[in-house]
Amino acid sequence: MGLLAPLFLLGLTALAVPVIIHMIQRERKEVIEFPSLMFIRKIPFHSFRRQRIRHWFLLLLRCAALALLVVAFTRPFIRSPALAAVTAGAGEVVILLDRSYSMGHGDRWQRAKEEALDVINGLAADDRATVILFDSGAEASARSTTNRASLTGLVNDAEVSAGVTRYGPALKLAEGIFEGSDLPRLEAVLISDFQRTGVESANGVRFPDGTELRPVSVMPDDLSGTANVSVAGVLFQREYFSGRERVVVTARLTNRGDEPIDDLEVGFEMDGREVEMLTADLPPNGSATVDFAAVTLGDAPMTGAVRVERDALPTDDVFYFVVSPGQVVTVLLIGNARGAGEANLFLSRALGIGSSPAFDIRTTTIDTFNASDLAGRQVVILNDAPPPVGQAGLALREFVENGGGLFVASGERSVWPQDGLDLLPGRLGPPTDRDGRGGSVGFVDYSHPVFELFSAPRSGDVTTARFFRYRSVEPYDTTAVLARFDDDSPALTERQVGDGRVLLWASTVNNFWNDLALKPVFLPFVHRLTEYLAAYTPPTAWFSAGQVLNLTEQQVGLGEGGLVAADYVVMSPSGERIPVDVGDRTGFIDLDEQGLYEVHDANAAEVQPLNLAVNVDLSESDLTAVDPDELASAVTGRVGGERDSSAPVREVSAEDLERRQAFWWYLLVSAFCLFVAETVVSNRLSRTTLSAD
Amino acid sequence: MDTAQITPGSRFVDPKVLARIGSLDLLARTVVDGFINGLHKAPYLGVSIDFAEHRGYMPGDDIRFIDWRVFARTDRFYVKQFEADTNTNFSVLFDVSRSMSFGSKGITKLDYGRFLAACLTYFCTKQRDRVGIVTFDDDIVARVPPSAKHLEVVLHTLDRIQAGRPGSFERPLFKATEFFKRRGILLVISDFYDEPQVVVDALKPLRYGGNDVMVFHVLDPAEIDFPYDDATSFQDLETERKMPVVPEKLREQYRQLIQEHISTLSKLCGQNRIDYALFNTAQSLDHALFQFLAMRAKLSRMR
Repeated sequence: MGLLAPLFLLGLTALAVPVIIHMIQRERKEVIEFPSLMFIRKIPFHSFRRQRIRHWFLLLLRCAALALLVVAFTRPFIRSPALAAVTAGAGEVVILLDRSYSMGHGDRWQRAKEEALDVINGLAADDRATVILFDSGAEASARSTTNRASLTGLVNDAEVSAGVTRYGPALKLAEGIFEGSDLPRLEAVLISDFQRTGVESANGVRFPDGTELRPVSVMPDDLSGTANVSVAGVLFQREYFSGRERVVVTARLTNRGDEPIDDLEVGFEMDGREVEMLTADLPPNGSATVDFAAVTLGDAPMTGAVRVERDALPTDDVFYFVVSPGQVVTVLLIGNARGAGEANLFLSRALGIGSSPAFDIRTTTIDTFNASDLAGRQVVILNDAPPPVGQAGLALREFVENGGGLFVASGERSVWPQDGLDLLPGRLGPPTDRDGRGGSVGFVDYSHPVFELFSAPRSGDVTTARFFRYRSVEPYDTTAVLARFDDDSPALTERQVGDGRVLLWASTVNNFWNDLALKPVFLPFVHRLTEYLAAYTPPTAWFSAGQVLNLTEQQVGLGEGGLVAADYVVMSPSGERIPVDVGDRTGFIDLDEQGLYEVHDANAAEVQPLNLAVNVDLSESDLTAVDPDELASAVTGRVGGERDSSAPVREVSAEDLERRQAFWWYLLVSAFCLFVAETVVSNRLSRTTLSAD
Repeated sequence: MDTAQITPGSRFVDPKVLARIGSLDLLARTVVDGFINGLHKAPYLGVSIDFAEHRGYMPGDDIRFIDWRVFARTDRFYVKQFEADTNTNFSVLFDVSRSMSFGSKGITKLDYGRFLAACLTYFCTKQRDRVGIVTFDDDIVARVPPSAKHLEVVLHTLDRIQAGRPGSFERPLFKATEFFKRRGILLVISDFYDEPQVVVDALKPLRYGGNDVMVFHVLDPAEIDFPYDDATSFQDLETERKMPVVPEKLREQYRQLIQEHISTLSKLCGQNRIDYALFNTAQSLDHALFQFLAMRAKLSRMR
């Protein structure tokens, strides 16, 4: 027998209360003035009658009620071996059910659900259980419950998702449930196909000591059935024919089986209609590509899909995409009147290669440049030329302030007078000559979109170019220096002017002062630089399942003007309407399903809906399994994840015992009953006494 | 009518009471001293119509009082002597102790006593008696010596009375004995919260001085019936001592005790030729006073 709050025993002193009430009886607080108490004092009655306890039963009733009340507050519990034996059987069972799309392979999902239901049906009466459905995330709807019907319903209603297997979040959630449990037996049942791709996320998860992890694999014993063909992706090759843009779709197929596949039928659909059916031969554990016939694009984006023959895992047998009309960035290249063609050669050639986006280049000279040349242009490149003056200069300034991009490439003729256009990021100084091997770029801000492309290893090195001459630049305080030469002189600086951007390159963009134009990085550098100035965002051909999309950033194809979330109607591939104005997640939707989402503009029914293609993560297509015991050992720290029989039984704390036994509740009810009885008895006794008097 | 000329205590002289008792006399049951002819028997022989005795003629006696019939029978001269009638002193000894301020039904015992004292004083003045008052608690508080002109002074005194201190009987009544050298009527108004023997012992000196002592025992109905129900604390008005009391448990014993007190007091007074009357403040004053005076007149005739 133990007490959680023994200090409450001091409350037993309250037992004196009914005794005192018996002794002095209840008196009114007001005092009656009386002429003389000489007669009352003569009566021995008051001193005798009050001090005598007349109703022992009533007194005992009151004392017992108070004592029960006090003992209830001390929260008593019994720590008997017999009771401990009874409670040791109760367990906290967590059923982790893998619902990643690989579970759709064959009858895995059906078997997994049956296994889960078996576990639920095998639970003891005092067991508490939780069902965690997981893929890349984990979800526990009914948490630590004894309601078998709820658990069974949860399993029966579960469906395979489009997510990939990640054991980490699910095991972490189970770990939290175990740590918060007060039951002595902890058991996890992991029902999965145990794909190797999901194991890595389980690093760092460690169940509490004594926890048993029982892996239940639904992988077939015959692993030959794990062969899987999937469409790994598509590539678009754009071309222009007779003034119309055409796109050639190339599908990449993978075979993860050990057997070659011949004459695999591959279908190509555009806007829901089958366009072409081809066959492909796939080597074992290899891949192949299939080129479909070119498709002429219209003005609006088109949806497409590539399908292969349905196999045991149908989810990755189709790949959805959206082909948007090619984007064009319009560029005005302004050169110097003398030798502009030679100076612009590398730049115009580099921009002419681009197809995604394509660059529409118009060339002029600073002498002939006027305001009308800016019409329809997104980017202006001032290549080795002085700034325009007069109306042309004002027009250029207005162009930048309204969101246009200006790239100024310095050169021999880039003389920027003091009273010239205030557009540059800094004051342009005289040329600096570097002797010998010349200088190089010493610092590059790889976090900037212009250089982000080169941030990865072996993705291009701008520092290999040699610079023999460049102009010095004194940047302003608000100027961002994106690259510096090895002598710390700014190489590329940026300034925000109104809504537009101005980039100043301190050297030439041809081979006059440096050899950058001869380096491989020149082409992507010029492309990225121009795209950045044009604020170009490539349309997304497809998303991955599990991504969260911000609708307000996806206005391509929708009506003009700022749309609010309430204006959107989003239909999932399964045809369900998805709410987009839920609390603080307004405008965000979870792309959980594979297929084509449709986003309609509720205010403009005639506008073609925005289509979003969502594909599954193909890492899940790799059905290679890991030994379930290996995962169980990693999580529990014991071979096979089984309970260590020699390990001491998890000791139940006094708080747990008290909470489980909850004697205080019965004591309170008893005290309440006694108080009721006391009221009845005292009233009856009082009436009896009065009538007798 | 000029209100400034109204005697402050005159409100205690109730015309209704006086009308009720107007047909009676307050006669001294003992001989009393007086200066003028009145309703009361004087200790001396004098001029009245009540024959007292014969005595032998002495030279100098007025020959008009010689009883010639006795002379005819005895051939000796005897003169007739008559009882002397006189007026008397009427004094009120008024207990103004704190307990007299108690009143459960609106009127306090003190006010009731004021009405009694005022009415009887006025009544006696009309009988040509001299009136005075002595108020006391545990000592003499105020004294108005008897005089035929002291009606207004007595009424003033009654008006100024304030009950505030604990009371006793031995000391103030013993002191008061010194005030009454001449025999008269003494009216003691009190609630007599003391042992009956103590009360009577305190009254005895007055009685032995030849005074006709009347005792008006004024009690509130709550003091007689003890009608309280709820258990509560009672506080003694004089000692201010508190005591938890369960009235329902001791009511009967209390009633028994108070009745014993009254009867003992009455009995002891009777033994000492002191007229005792119990006045319940719930009773109408005129009725109670009429009863008392009628009873007293009846006793006088019986004597």
